[in-house]
Amino acid sequence: MSPRSPFSALRWLIALLVLGGMLFLLVERAPEQSTPEPVSVPSEAPAATGTASEVFGEPLPALQSLEELDLDTPPARRGLDLQHWQTSQGTPVYYMQADELPMLDVQILFAAGASRDGELPGLAGFTNAMLNEGTGNLDAGDIAAGFERLGAQFSNSSHRDMGLLGLRTLTASDKLEPALSLFAQILAKPSFPEASLQRIREQMQAGLRYARQRPGSQASEALWSSLYAGHPYGIPPDGTEESINAITRADLQTFQQTYYSAGNAVIALVGAVGRQRAEQLAQHLADAMPQGEAAPRTPAPQPVSASTQHIDFASNQTHVLIAQQGISRDDPDYAALYLGNQILGGGGFGSRLVNEIREQRGLAYSPRSTFSAMQAPGPFYISIQTRADQAEQALDVANQVLDEFILTGPTETELSRAKQQMLGEFPLSTASNGAIVSQLGAIGFYGLPLNYMQLFLDRVQALTAEDIRDAFARHLPASERLIITVGPPQPEPEPEPEPEQDDTESETDGDSATQPPEDENT
Amino acid sequence: MQPLRYLLLLLPLLAPLAHAESRQPTHSYTLDNGLKVIIREDHRAPVVVSQVWYKVGGADEPPGQTGLSHALEHMMFKGSKHLEPGQASHLLNSLGASENAMTNRDYTAYYQMLSRDQLPVALEMEAERMHLLTLPEDEFVKEIEVIKEERRMRVDDNPNGLAYERFLAQAYTANPYRQPVIGWMHDIERMGIEDLRAWYQQHYAPGNAVLVIVGDVYPETVKPLVERYFGAVPAGSAPLPRAPLELPAPGERSMTLHLDLQLPTLLMGFNVPSLNTASEAWEVHALRLLSAVLDGGYSARLSSRLERGEAIATSVGSGYDAFTRGDTLFILSGIPNEARAVDLPQLEDAIWQQIDELKQTPPSAEELSRVQAQVVAGLVYAQDSIMAQADRIGTLEVVGLPWQLVDEDSAALQAITPEQVSAVARKYLTRERYTRSYNLPLAEEAQP
Repeated sequence: MSPRSPFSALRWLIALLVLGGMLFLLVERAPEQSTPEPVSVPSEAPAATGTASEVFGEPLPALQSLEELDLDTPPARRGLDLQHWQTSQGTPVYYMQADELPMLDVQILFAAGASRDGELPGLAGFTNAMLNEGTGNLDAGDIAAGFERLGAQFSNSSHRDMGLLGLRTLTASDKLEPALSLFAQILAKPSFPEASLQRIREQMQAGLRYARQRPGSQASEALWSSLYAGHPYGIPPDGTEESINAITRADLQTFQQTYYSAGNAVIALVGAVGRQRAEQLAQHLADAMPQGEAAPRTPAPQPVSASTQHIDFASNQTHVLIAQQGISRDDPDYAALYLGNQILGGGGFGSRLVNEIREQRGLAYSPRSTFSAMQAPGPFYISIQTRADQAEQALDVANQVLDEFILTGPTETELSRAKQQMLGEFPLSTASNGAIVSQLGAIGFYGLPLNYMQLFLDRVQALTAEDIRDAFARHLPASERLIITVGPPQPEPEPEPEPEQDDTESETDGDSATQPPEDENT
Repeated sequence: MQPLRYLLLLLPLLAPLAHAESRQPTHSYTLDNGLKVIIREDHRAPVVVSQVWYKVGGADEPPGQTGLSHALEHMMFKGSKHLEPGQASHLLNSLGASENAMTNRDYTAYYQMLSRDQLPVALEMEAERMHLLTLPEDEFVKEIEVIKEERRMRVDDNPNGLAYERFLAQAYTANPYRQPVIGWMHDIERMGIEDLRAWYQQHYAPGNAVLVIVGDVYPETVKPLVERYFGAVPAGSAPLPRAPLELPAPGERSMTLHLDLQLPTLLMGFNVPSLNTASEAWEVHALRLLSAVLDGGYSARLSSRLERGEAIATSVGSGYDAFTRGDTLFILSGIPNEARAVDLPQLEDAIWQQIDELKQTPPSAEELSRVQAQVVAGLVYAQDSIMAQADRIGTLEVVGLPWQLVDEDSAALQAITPEQVSAVARKYLTRERYTRSYNLPLAEEAQP
């Protein structure tokens, strides 16, 4: 949970201008969705057995360290005493005490994302960006200075499922109390000042224009609008030129009162406060919020039929997307699809897509496949950026890899390796308070059981190759596969491109595993 | 998109530093072959980060061979004596480790984060590729195509990336930081495997590297491991890294670019020293505070006055990275608010007004204490991430600064007076150190 400036799409642009371009990472870590999927080591589960070469399913290089590796014992992990209760309003609270550092992370997740925009695309994002622009008699500068002089970091962000508010603060009482009090004021009475309203409106309009210079944004927008036509996920989170101009102060206030309410929130807390204090604190925050109802669950989308579309864009590369509707976060097949996707193209080096497209053929820098599991079934997609004249070849290879995986599933070697990978990743995914608070937030928001990490790992370790193949075959029928390309005009005639709308891309909270990556190329 | 990086990137001043009164013992020593080793203990979780930093980057490359260091970084994953191309990544992935590498103008770094019991695997693989890299030509032929795709994605198809690359090429005159780290496309196209083999021989030696380990480890168990794997690497001869130096007053430079942009952007840069090249360290810390006063959070001057107050800018920011091997830049950038008919020259004037005001009137004590509070809190927050701790230590050492600075930084900043902030603004933010770039959409004219 890092500090984030309000309406930060353009601030990001500035970051890019100022210091971007100096770092070249070999492989982008999966777009900063950071924490790997939570898994945990069951207390009495049979661990992977045998020698390293059996586990890895290949002859091992002559390295001493590999010969000495103990793969019979699951890696040690940080003890996690996760706790759960409800405030008097029924707001679920998820908590872990961590006394090692004098700091506290607070994350509040509201079912207040763009899927609630209704007739006014951009309303959720606009509301979220306005929350810290004024409260009572404080303006944006007062609020920012209030947090900053305490060394506290306030964050806000808006996505398709959720609106997030976060606070990271020191726990010394002369820091904690005022920081929480200011945070509570923002929850209680955002004032939506007129001056800020106009400025954020202008920034959002600029953000729409900025997205038009990025082929990745165009591709992402086409993905969501095609897969989710007529569904709340098809609403462009950054709005349209018309809707942004149409949104009024009253609209923002109504949205805040309706969706940023105690009945529609989940609170996650990790840090150096005891249980009793944590209960008081969560109650204090819930008391500050409007006392409203939980928003209804986002419905499942209507299936779409296979189609192909090309959008002309004056770029060197063509952005290729293969996309279809995937699954919701609480789908019973989640474990099988997650593990399978690690093998297919979500696991970086060693995954099939990276091997075939990058390693074997040098066609692209960061090919990958992703399941965005959301409240309603989110998208599955494969994304590739390649020199325009290679786009067709890259698309063919990706389609073949996907078809073959659906047909025959993973090999036993791939399966055991992926399971081993999950065991090894777990200690990393829970090493920091920031990672744990995100995991807790996701568990709460998607209504997963408190021991979810444990259950997930148990499920993963029990999976067979056939389970994975079967889940992929059921969820990814080729008859519903969309192909989207953005780049220079293609030689053969294509269907009419979609009229250009505004970009639907949204930022993904870097430290939060709760967020689907909604952008193809961060 | 990753806007969260904004504050982290733009505020090196507020970058995490290890806690001065840290309960984290740190051990530093040098192997016989010249490898510098720094081990910092953090026992909160049973995980560890291992990083190897080489003192070679874009700034070291001869003209015509830009992009060598970055290409070599890619080839470091393509096999060594006992490891097939891609195999090391494959095995590390199978263990659940996360690994990556980065190339910058000053350094090339490789890191793994893994369960503490797996540390030996990372150390052995890293030691092997320090001296037994195979650099096969058939792999290079494929990989250079991947690098071209990377350049297309990051720069050629990204007008902001292009604008920034061109800006750097103007803003540095005598200083090799003008070269893009990823390389000019015409240099990537004429690069050969022999160039990389020579580059590897020349720069990849233990004496030119730093090993940083942070996490749930104890020196008595880690030191023998380091000796076992890295002790076997022959010393070789390490080149002496040269600090890139700039002329004290190169002269005012301005450029106008027409790019496939939707929004006009302004880039402003001043040639300034880094902590490595400054004769007076306090000047650098004052420049860091100056950047923070301008842009150290949403309550800082640029946000308050230009984004909010007069709404001249849609977005505006400043950045100064003091921890570089050579002379660097103090950068400001912004997007004018076209909704209020502001153009690039007006935004530039408004930013100059802010600079001039600080030259004449020091920032208030309250402003500096707000910055200071963030720094001190940042020390605590940084400890939440062992990767961030290792990054700070490694960055300092690889550019030639002692890692101990992480524990002294807060005091160094606290010692700066408001008047000193004004003094460095007067000394360094001058016209003869200034480069300005107007980046315009293809159809627009620069001047009103």
